[in-house]
Amino acid sequence: MIEARGVTKSFSTNSSEIVAVNDVYLAVKPGEFVLILGRSGSGKSTLLAMLAGLIRPTTGVVRIHGNEIGNLSEDKTAEVRAKEIGFVFQFSGLIPTITALENVMLPTLFCPDGPGSRLRAVELLRKVGLSERTDAYPSTLSSGEMKRVAIARALINGPPILIADEPTGDLDVDTEIEIMELFKDLNREGTTIVVVTHNPDLVPYATRTYGMVKGKLVKNPESFCFRTWKAEPGA
Amino acid sequence: MSNSHEFGFFRLLVRNLSNRSYRNIATIFVFAFIAATLFSSQYLMNGAQASLDTGMSRMGADILVVPEEYAAAGQTVILSGQPSSFFFNDSSYEKISRIPGVAKASPQIYIATLFASCCAAPLQMIAIDPENDFTISTWLKENPGVKLGKDDIIIGSAVIQDVGNDLPFYGHTFHVVGILKQTGMGVDNSVFTRFEDAYVMADESELKAVKKLTIPPRMVSAVLVKVDPGTSPSAVAREIQDQIPGTKTITPNGLLNTVSGQLGAVRRLLNGTTLAVTIVSIPLLAFISAMVAHERRREIAILRALGATKTYVVRLMLAESFSIAIIGSLIGIGGAMVVLVFFQDFIATSLKIPFIIPSPLALLVDGGTALFLCAGIGGIASLYPAILINRSEPYETIRKGES
Repeated sequence: MIEARGVTKSFSTNSSEIVAVNDVYLAVKPGEFVLILGRSGSGKSTLLAMLAGLIRPTTGVVRIHGNEIGNLSEDKTAEVRAKEIGFVFQFSGLIPTITALENVMLPTLFCPDGPGSRLRAVELLRKVGLSERTDAYPSTLSSGEMKRVAIARALINGPPILIADEPTGDLDVDTEIEIMELFKDLNREGTTIVVVTHNPDLVPYATRTYGMVKGKLVKNPESFCFRTWKAEPGA
Repeated sequence: MSNSHEFGFFRLLVRNLSNRSYRNIATIFVFAFIAATLFSSQYLMNGAQASLDTGMSRMGADILVVPEEYAAAGQTVILSGQPSSFFFNDSSYEKISRIPGVAKASPQIYIATLFASCCAAPLQMIAIDPENDFTISTWLKENPGVKLGKDDIIIGSAVIQDVGNDLPFYGHTFHVVGILKQTGMGVDNSVFTRFEDAYVMADESELKAVKKLTIPPRMVSAVLVKVDPGTSPSAVAREIQDQIPGTKTITPNGLLNTVSGQLGAVRRLLNGTTLAVTIVSIPLLAFISAMVAHERRREIAILRALGATKTYVVRLMLAESFSIAIIGSLIGIGGAMVVLVFFQDFIATSLKIPFIIPSPLALLVDGGTALFLCAGIGGIASLYPAILINRSEPYETIRKGES
């Protein structure tokens, strides 16, 4: 369903070139819950953005449902994002001028043929425990509530893939558990989930876990994660 | 079935506009000012043009011939109806009638009434020859129930009297039998009577009025000329001046030039202000748009990450800009119209121009032009920032905003 083959992403600065993601191979099958663990700056968010078609790899190929998104026009890629992928940003990424319900309904503007509707938005907000906050503006929501609205928004068009960048990064432990349980439920219902995080506590929720170190994807995260972090203080 | 349009483009547009009210109100004010100045300039010129058209149509003449030394006074009589008396020999009338291209000629006598107990008000009295007249006779044909008989007068719309009222001029009592429609020109302040009644009034004035009125025998004040169909009024006017020395011809085009000249300073001021405001406002509005776009770059990046195409984003930003421009323009045009209509008489008197409210079509064109120009300015000002913001990578913008 999602496939990255030899994907590299490098950024040029004035004096040098930084390789954020280095020759990554990854295949995520339908119904999987993949977790990518890594410290800040390891390149995991860049990899996630490439998987979602938000940025194009410098070299290599990303395929979604077998279609190489690097070959698609920008408008076609936007269409794929609207229909196929629900994206949860590290911070909620809600539009401040519209209500929680309207934020959830926002992606329906870009996918008019999708299943998104007001009724579905209300139902999704109920599912994430915010049925009482439909008319609230983002500025009046807590971090956890905003994150839940963002998850509901990611699901409004019924995407088969949910991609989340540090979904529990700024949340307390209780909310973190609630969010991850929600992800687990969605995965059980058939949604393919890819999450990047620096938090090893999320490992039990995933069906497969990778590590990310200096732009490289590591297949043996249990041994790598804790050892690497211990070896690199401040991580 | 999907009902995703419950939250649509329009709703997002309205939300974006209403939740950034302070800056939007300031921008709306700029557009209102541009639209008001543009509209006022066009409105005044069209009002004067409409008035001239109606007034000349009322007179029914293609050319007005007056004594050379009273050309200015003649124009004033036509344009504003300011009371004036002047004469030239009526032999000129005979000669004018014989000039090739002249279909009809009709003499008139202008009498300035007095501001005294003998007179109802200082007005321009115009005595006509019912045999040859084509000014009032046309109106009489349109109003078959009205006859201009002995001691009867037909008054202009600005003379505040009703049909059936009696009005004294030079001690002679006249009877109002008709009221002409508004033209915005001198006709509105005039009183029309017959030659013979004017002569009787003049004869009686020595005894009945505070000041004697003299109408010299075999003299007239002006001759109205209607040219043959297909003949150029300007050519006939030149011929009259060439053949009859001491006369001056006034044509609608000449009057329009005079009015344009009188309006010129005001138009220059309005157009200059509009140009200056536009020149200043385009970069100012572009700066505001760029500032808004910069502020909203993360929001726009989120929209794109959620699946919005670049075209959708440009459309949204342009729609916001057009909406502000249109709201501002409508407020400006509406405000200008209220002021112009409310102070219409004051403006016309101050500028010494004939004026009536232009036709609904002309108003629509004037308003539409101002609206179109403002929308264009709004579009130009916001297009570049919209394109610029679209060039940035949404992912990078979101990440920068998060850090």
